[in-house]
Amino acid sequence: MKTIGENCSLSELKIGQTAIVKSINIVNKDIKRHLLDMGLTKGTNVTIKKIAPMGDPIDILLRGYELAIRKSDLKQIEVEVIK
Amino acid sequence: MKVGLVGNQNSGKTTLFNCLTGMNAKIGNWPGVTIEKKLGTIKGTKHEITDLPGIYSLSPYSAEEEVSRNFVFNENPDVIINIVDATCLERSLFLTTQLLESNCKVIVALNMADKLEEKGLSIDEKKMEEMLGTKVIKISALKETGLEELIKEIDKPIKRKENKVIPEYLSKDYDIEKYEEIVNQKYSFISRVVETCIKKKKRPEAISDRLDKIFLNRWLAFPIFIIIMFLIYYLSVGIVGNFTVDLVGDALGSFGEWVGSLMENIGLSEWLNSLVVDGIISGVGAVLGFVPQLIILFLCIALLETTGYMSRISLLLDKVFRKLGLSGKSLIPFIVGSGCSVPGIMGTRIIENEDERKMTAILTPFIPCSAKLPIIALFAGYFFPNSSGIVSSSLYFFAIAVIIISALIMKKFVFKHTSSTYISELPEYKLPSAKYILKDVFDKVMAFIKRAGTIILLCSIIIWFLLSFSFKMEYGVDVEESILASIGNKISWVFKPMLGENSWEAAVSALQGLVAKEQVVSSMAVINGLAEDASEGAEIFVKDGAFGFFTASSAYAFMVFNLFSAPCFGAIGAMKRELGSTKKLLKALAFQTSLAWVLATFVYQIGSRIEKGIFNMVDIGFIGVIVGLVILIIRALFKKNKNECVECPYCRSCNKS
Repeated sequence: MKTIGENCSLSELKIGQTAIVKSINIVNKDIKRHLLDMGLTKGTNVTIKKIAPMGDPIDILLRGYELAIRKSDLKQIEVEVIK
Repeated sequence: MKVGLVGNQNSGKTTLFNCLTGMNAKIGNWPGVTIEKKLGTIKGTKHEITDLPGIYSLSPYSAEEEVSRNFVFNENPDVIINIVDATCLERSLFLTTQLLESNCKVIVALNMADKLEEKGLSIDEKKMEEMLGTKVIKISALKETGLEELIKEIDKPIKRKENKVIPEYLSKDYDIEKYEEIVNQKYSFISRVVETCIKKKKRPEAISDRLDKIFLNRWLAFPIFIIIMFLIYYLSVGIVGNFTVDLVGDALGSFGEWVGSLMENIGLSEWLNSLVVDGIISGVGAVLGFVPQLIILFLCIALLETTGYMSRISLLLDKVFRKLGLSGKSLIPFIVGSGCSVPGIMGTRIIENEDERKMTAILTPFIPCSAKLPIIALFAGYFFPNSSGIVSSSLYFFAIAVIIISALIMKKFVFKHTSSTYISELPEYKLPSAKYILKDVFDKVMAFIKRAGTIILLCSIIIWFLLSFSFKMEYGVDVEESILASIGNKISWVFKPMLGENSWEAAVSALQGLVAKEQVVSSMAVINGLAEDASEGAEIFVKDGAFGFFTASSAYAFMVFNLFSAPCFGAIGAMKRELGSTKKLLKALAFQTSLAWVLATFVYQIGSRIEKGIFNMVDIGFIGVIVGLVILIIRALFKKNKNECVECPYCRSCNKS
C-alpha cells in the first residue's frame, strides 16, 4: 500500500485512500479535456470509492460526486497520497 | 420567449421539463437519458421551452452533447435555465461559469433542494447570486417547489449582455495547455463560491454506498445481475403469461363468436362476416392478448432505468464488453432495447467512440424487444407449457451469447479500433416516483394497443384479403389457392431447413415481422382462422391446422429466427440514422438475417434429432466438427487481445496493436 506523501499514479491506490492530483498526462487531448471539464484538475482531492467487481473501472470521489474511469486512464494521472 | 433547459447529465432537466409543460418525456437515473432536444410550452404562459441533452461543458464531447452546444451558441435563446444539482454543486457550477460567458440571460435553478437536508448541506443562495452575478433560485422538480418563482423570473425584462463570440478555448481546434489553465482558474473560483455559500455537516454512510457493497460485491455482483435478468422474463412470460393468455384468448374467442352470430342474424354477407371475425378480431386479438405480459415487462424495465441499478451493470460489464470491442455504456442501449429497439438504438449516442457506437447499434436489435414477446410467449407457452418461463429467459441468454459472438466477429473483421475510454458519472440509487413509473408503463402499453388498432389492423385486413382471393380475384377460394399462398410458396424453401417442412404459412408470417414483430403472431392467427373450417376458439397449433406441424424444436428454431433476423422497419430506420449510410445498413441487415438463419437451422437440426432419438455417428461427427470450428474461431478472435501491447502512457498515440 502506498504511504502518505508518496507520489504514484491514481490507479495504484487502494479503496478508501485519498490523494491530491499533481498532473494529468493523458495524451488524447479530447479525453483530457473531458476529465478537466468534469473537475479532475490539478490540486483536486480524489478518493478511491469503489472498484468494479472485475477490478476495472474504478469509481472515484471528487468534488462531491462519483466518477467511474478505467484503470488505463487513471494510470496516466499522477497524484500524491494524503490519506 | 425562447427558454432552454441546460445542465449536467442526470440533474433532473427532463423532470423539470415535464413539470413545467405537463408532458411525460422519458426520464431515468443514468447519464444521457435525453438524446434529442424536445420542445414544449410552459403551462399558463406562451414561453416555448426546450429540453436539451445533459452536458458538463460547452466544449463538445459526444454526439448528443453537440445538440446542447448548438442551442446555446447558434439558436439565440432568450433565457437559459441552468439547472444545477444542488447536492453536487462544485462540478455543476463549471458549466454555469461557461454559460455566464454567453450572451443570454441565465437563471440558475438549484434543483433537488429537498435533498440538501438529508445530505447535511445548506446553501446560501443570496451570497451565491452575488458571487455569480445572476439570479439563483432553489427548486425541487420532483416535489414541484420553487417553480412559481422560476416562471416569474423568466418574465422579468432581459438585461442582455453585449454580443460575445464563442470563446476561443471552446472552439474545435483548441490548445489543451491553455484550456487546462482556463479550467484551473474557473474551478478555483468555483471552490471559493462553494466555500462561502455551503455549510456541510457530517453525515452517516450514504445508502448508495451500503447498497453498492452488495450490488458491486466481487462475488455477488454477477449472480445478482443474472437473477434479476432471469426474473424479468420469468415473471412476464412464465407466471403471468400462462394465466392471462388463456383468459384473454377465451374471452376474445367468445367475443368473435358473439359478433359472428350477431352479424349473421342481421343479415350481413358472408364475406363481411369473415373479414370482421377471421380477419380483424383474430388478427388484432392475437396481439392484444399479450398486454398483461407487456405491463410486467415495461414495469421491470422502468424500475431498472429509474433506480440507478443500470449504471451499476454498465460498470460491472465494462471489462467484459471492452474485450468484445464494446464499452460498458453499450449495456444501456441493450436494456432500453428490451422495451423497444428504436429508443435503444438512438441511445447509442451516449457512447463516445464511433466504432463502439455503430457496433452497439447493430447489436441492439438482437435483444428481444417487447414486440417479440408475443412470439416468445405464444410458442413457449404452447410447446413448453411447464417451463415457459425458463424457455423464454433462455432466449434472453441465447441473445447475450449471439451478441458476444457477433461482437467478436465484427471486431475482428469490420471495426478494428484499438483505443477507447469509459468515463461516466455513477449516480446515487433513487427511489423512483410511482407516479412517473405508472405513467410511463401506461404510455408504452397504450402505444402498443394503438399499434394493434392501426398497423396490425391494416395488416390483418390485407392478409385476410390476400388469403380470401385468388389471383383471378375470385372470393372464397381454398386458402391453398389464395394470393398469399402463391407468394409464400415461392419463399417457403428458405425456411425448410429450420422447420423441417415446406410451410408457406410460416414463411409469410415471418416476413411480416418486418412491419412489426408482433404481426408474426397476428398473421398466424388470421391464416389459421381462415384455413380451419370450424374456427371457434381454435388454437393456432391445432393438430391438422396450418401450423400443426410445429414441434418443440422447430418452434424454438422459429423463435430464434424471428428474434435475430432483420428488425422491424422502425428499428431499421433508427439503425440507418446511427450507421449513417444505406450501404452499411444493408450489410448489417444481411449479417443479422443470415446469422439468424444459420442459428435457427442449427437449433432445428440438432433439436429434431434429439426429439426423434435418431442421433447416429455421422450426426455426432458433424456436430463435433461445428463445435470445434466455433471454439477455434472464438480462440482465434480472443488471441489477438493477448498480443496487444502493454498499455503505456503513449498507448493512445501509438499504432502497435
